[in-house]
Amino acid sequence: MAFPSAGIMTATEPIAVGYAIPPLTINSVDPARMKTMAAILRDPYPLHWDRKINELIGLGNRVVNQGPLNVGYVANMLMAWAGPDSIKRLTLSFGNPVFDGDRVVAHGVVTALDTSGTEALATCDIWLERAGEHVVTGVAVVHLNSHVLLSVADNPNHLPT
Amino acid sequence: MTFQIDDARSHIGHQFPGGAYRIAHWENWLLTDCTGAEPLPDQLVHPIALFHAPILGSGISITELFALFNVTGMGGVSLVGYDWEYFQPLQEDVDYQCEGRVITVERGETTPTGWTETMAFQIDMLDQDRQPVARVTNTWRFHRQAS
Repeated sequence: MAFPSAGIMTATEPIAVGYAIPPLTINSVDPARMKTMAAILRDPYPLHWDRKINELIGLGNRVVNQGPLNVGYVANMLMAWAGPDSIKRLTLSFGNPVFDGDRVVAHGVVTALDTSGTEALATCDIWLERAGEHVVTGVAVVHLNSHVLLSVADNPNHLPT
Repeated sequence: MTFQIDDARSHIGHQFPGGAYRIAHWENWLLTDCTGAEPLPDQLVHPIALFHAPILGSGISITELFALFNVTGMGGVSLVGYDWEYFQPLQEDVDYQCEGRVITVERGETTPTGWTETMAFQIDMLDQDRQPVARVTNTWRFHRQAS
């Protein structure tokens, strides 16, 4: 997945409360990426790379995805929509673990728009879903660039909530 | 002797050593690739760097952090949540000062084998002019066994 350049918006629909951000699907969580991630994070716990350990502690024959990677899928969805420098805040809660081979989908819905300050902000409910289960839930605040502002301004019924 | 809630609470306010962290291009490239995305433009750092960069920059490791509370990561710890605030875009190859501390420790639910505790720490990332770049508040749950 590639990102638009900073300040360039790809969405063509007007943004309003209730707007569903285009979802992002990970068809199969990759265990090789967990190994690289463990090294980057300096995370020494083998549940991210050693299936035998996970069997011993009752997690089955799969490895557990890192929490930051689950956040990464949601962040990628937001950045693909609003731009790579758009995220202002992520507040997230974690549910059941995500395992290698899982299919997960990142979702988001705009719940509030604020154009009263120096920059336009959208508050969004966000979640990562696996087969109907929300394994990560939270709220994001993202900066809306000028292209999105024009879309909002063209639809005064959408301002502000 | 079992590690008690008062032992854990004694660490509220504990300051991490502090220091700086620079996210190298290679590190950001691999980190971003792990999420399934292409590199970001303009040397922007992927937002999930707010997990490891503040911890390492504040002079502590995940293992050391858990050891402070007498827990290990294998079955003794689970992730509750993150609150990550971005005040400036993070850039590759820039030194960020990191200052962190334990902010809360609370007794959680009683379990069949013991109890849980939640612990939150907060780390501020600052630029060279000491302007805020990001603030992370991460919360973990510890699973304690009754003796």
